[in-house]
Amino acid sequence: MPTGLRGSLGRLSLACFALCAGSGVALVPLYDPANARESLEWIAGGVPWGFFARGVHAWAAWGLLVCGLLHVADVLAAGGDAKLAQGVWWRSSALLGLVFAALLGGFVMRGDAGALGALRVARGLCESVPLVGAPLVAGLWGTGETQLAVVAMHHVGTFTLLVALLSAEHGARLLPDDRALVLGACVVGALAGLVPLPVGDAPEVAPSGLTEGPWYLIGLQGLLLDAPPAFGWIVPLAVLGLLGGVRHLKGPPRRAALATLAFALLAWVGFSVRFLLLAGGTR
Amino acid sequence: MTRTPALLVAWLALAMGLVAALLHERSRARDLGGGPTQVAGRTERCLACHSAPEDDPGGAHTAAALGCSPCHLGDPGSRDKARAHAGMEPEPGALDSAGRTCGRAGCHASEAERVARSPMATARGIVAVNRRVFGETRHAEASNTIEDVLADPKPSPADTHLRKLCGGCHLGARRDNRDDALSHGRHLGTGCSACHAERRPSRGPDAARLPHVPIDARVPDSRCAGCHSRSARISLSYAGLAETSAHSAQTCADPAPLPDGRPACRVQADVHQRGGMACIDCHLHTELMGDGHVRARASQGVEITCEACHGGTSVAARRTWGDVLDDVTRRWLATRGEVRDDVEAVRLGARGTPVWNLRPDGGDNAGWSLTGKLDGRARVARQTPVDRNHTLRGHERLTCAACHSAWIPTCASCHTRFDPSGAQWDFGAGRVTPGRWIEDETPGLGMGFAPPALAVVAGTRIAPAGPGMILSIEARAASGPSGSRRLFASWDPHTTQKTARTCVQCHASPEALGLGAGRLDVTRARTTFTPARPVPRVDALDEGGWVALFPRAPGTSTRDEVRSLDAEEQRRVLGVAPCLACHAAASDGIYVDFKRSLARVDAREAPRCRIDAAPPSRP
Repeated sequence: MPTGLRGSLGRLSLACFALCAGSGVALVPLYDPANARESLEWIAGGVPWGFFARGVHAWAAWGLLVCGLLHVADVLAAGGDAKLAQGVWWRSSALLGLVFAALLGGFVMRGDAGALGALRVARGLCESVPLVGAPLVAGLWGTGETQLAVVAMHHVGTFTLLVALLSAEHGARLLPDDRALVLGACVVGALAGLVPLPVGDAPEVAPSGLTEGPWYLIGLQGLLLDAPPAFGWIVPLAVLGLLGGVRHLKGPPRRAALATLAFALLAWVGFSVRFLLLAGGTR
Repeated sequence: MTRTPALLVAWLALAMGLVAALLHERSRARDLGGGPTQVAGRTERCLACHSAPEDDPGGAHTAAALGCSPCHLGDPGSRDKARAHAGMEPEPGALDSAGRTCGRAGCHASEAERVARSPMATARGIVAVNRRVFGETRHAEASNTIEDVLADPKPSPADTHLRKLCGGCHLGARRDNRDDALSHGRHLGTGCSACHAERRPSRGPDAARLPHVPIDARVPDSRCAGCHSRSARISLSYAGLAETSAHSAQTCADPAPLPDGRPACRVQADVHQRGGMACIDCHLHTELMGDGHVRARASQGVEITCEACHGGTSVAARRTWGDVLDDVTRRWLATRGEVRDDVEAVRLGARGTPVWNLRPDGGDNAGWSLTGKLDGRARVARQTPVDRNHTLRGHERLTCAACHSAWIPTCASCHTRFDPSGAQWDFGAGRVTPGRWIEDETPGLGMGFAPPALAVVAGTRIAPAGPGMILSIEARAASGPSGSRRLFASWDPHTTQKTARTCVQCHASPEALGLGAGRLDVTRARTTFTPARPVPRVDALDEGGWVALFPRAPGTSTRDEVRSLDAEEQRRVLGVAPCLACHAAASDGIYVDFKRSLARVDAREAPRCRIDAAPPSRP
């Protein structure tokens, strides 16, 4: 088992999640899903240290995602997946998808031009799911043009609870250890202070052209520029399925699966670069 | 994982982050501003910073009612200065964004649409006449707008001429690409605001911040003059100012230089101006902002008539507010809290728009009074008397302006040439580009003023006319033409007087006949004209004249349907001249049936008449 920072990515992920949840509790009273962007303005400019709380929340969430992804790569490289029970491994793979979904919900909750664009895309992807598309949209994203109550509910409640439960099962603990929490808090606090988060453009003053989604989903945006909307859920589900299935493979099939996951990561980066180049060209 | 050095680095980073956050928090608290953040239930955070009295335009557009963003756009919800100002419109009313500012839904949407099609925005007539004068089109009708001309990547010589000399005078021009005669660019409004925002009071060239100008429907004459003090110069004429020039031979008893430095002479102002009336007291909303229809030229958009206020000599059908279809005027009246009963009499413009500030001043609807839109003062609109002056046989084609216009601006020479080695501002490119158009005058033949010539418009009306373009063009260096033109133009000079021209001032006047200045000797047997400024190598043509005496073909104008009097019409006009020495008044009995009166002279049935016998028969 690796030691040092590399061996502590899982604990850092949990620390980031704890920071995210804590700062989220502070932000909840200030946020109004019916006036989402107004809330963001209020948090960022109207409340003392509100911008800092928001920064901690966002940087901690991104820390959770980055540490989580690195932790997965670390575990797969070390063959640690075999040490987990099959069911736990599968649920841990789903945990990664939940983190993405929770982060996307948080992005949409900003209510700015980019957020509303992402909401439209997310609804479109869900609608393309056969048979259950429409109820899925209503259940996950709500139906109002700018009404974000459903999104906020899942962000604050459903996804947070699920991530907490699955994390607890995965790591066999509910709270992070002190050292990971201190390290995470220092890094996140430093970033929140040094890199204050901007508030996005209002929908009515947003520039024309391609709207960038959250940085961790730009690869998906790049893919969907040409691919049909269904690829937006088929490809992520396939990747998660492959990740879960690795646990059952050995020898060359496992190496092929890992190579495929690595290729998917590279393709993700490639699609991200492509989208950024195109988005830059349309402005 | 968390060795001590790593933790130390993390603590150090956290300390730096907290210091940065503290600084950010301080600036956030400082930039919050102390003004209100809500207007009429809307978030309008602009006012948090812009709440000083000088930031408020007042009136119907007061910041307390509207805030800033409905006109200036930007992001009114933002607490961050840069984001609040993102996408801001510094020139509200600019036509390219008017649909989101003045013309936004719920404000002045229909007006903004109309203005964009109106002659003041499209300048189609100017484009067309310019191209015709350059010989690029045969007729003075064109579908192109000034915006087309300014955007043309390969403009013709005529369009280049327009772009360099005239392209800054239309409502689509932005402040930094505008050529207002009376105001420095940075003090101007744009588009809607070009008229509705008074010029900013200057605090000197280095003033960093100027107070917000008032926005008002009551447009003062000075705003009209920014553009209309040029070309036909009706704003100047209305105010009693005749532009002159250093080359003018005309003497001026009362020089009055214009704000932009052009020399001018104070002469007789329009009677309406002397009575305190403003341009908008007569001109209707459909003329000023367009009526939504595309007009080939400005004159087609004019709806007000003299008769609308002063009545005509024939009995017109009585119209009431119940007949009025114009919703715009009704809406305005409602906004002003004014009510018009459906049975109240109303006078209408040529296309049915009511002159809403003109109302019957008595219970019997016999008289009318016009209320000034700027000063709120009521004035009696005297009705045209049904007397011999206004009902004389043979005068049926005369417009009111033909007799009641005292003078018209003149320019007997305009030499236009292109200097390829020069450079000049191009309003299409928005920068100085190679090539320069130069306009100058022949010494002694510069700008001045004179009694109007009489023009025949569409064969049905006699109207005043002036030397619109007596010019020479030397544009071969710009691949354009070379030659000369002698074109008059017919317009209402806006020099109306209560006292009309006398019979002599038309029937024995070389200017009225289009001959220009000179000596006109008229007998029944023979008429001669000796020009004061003869055109070299041309028989009996004055430099400022339109046509010669008894021309083979009438003089042409900037418009297809306007011409000078032809030879037969000149003869008919001059036929009265010999009688005027004894019969100077229109009420004289000989004019009841003038042909019969002349027949009596020829038959020697009027022994006291000393005029000559009938002229020999004409070829």
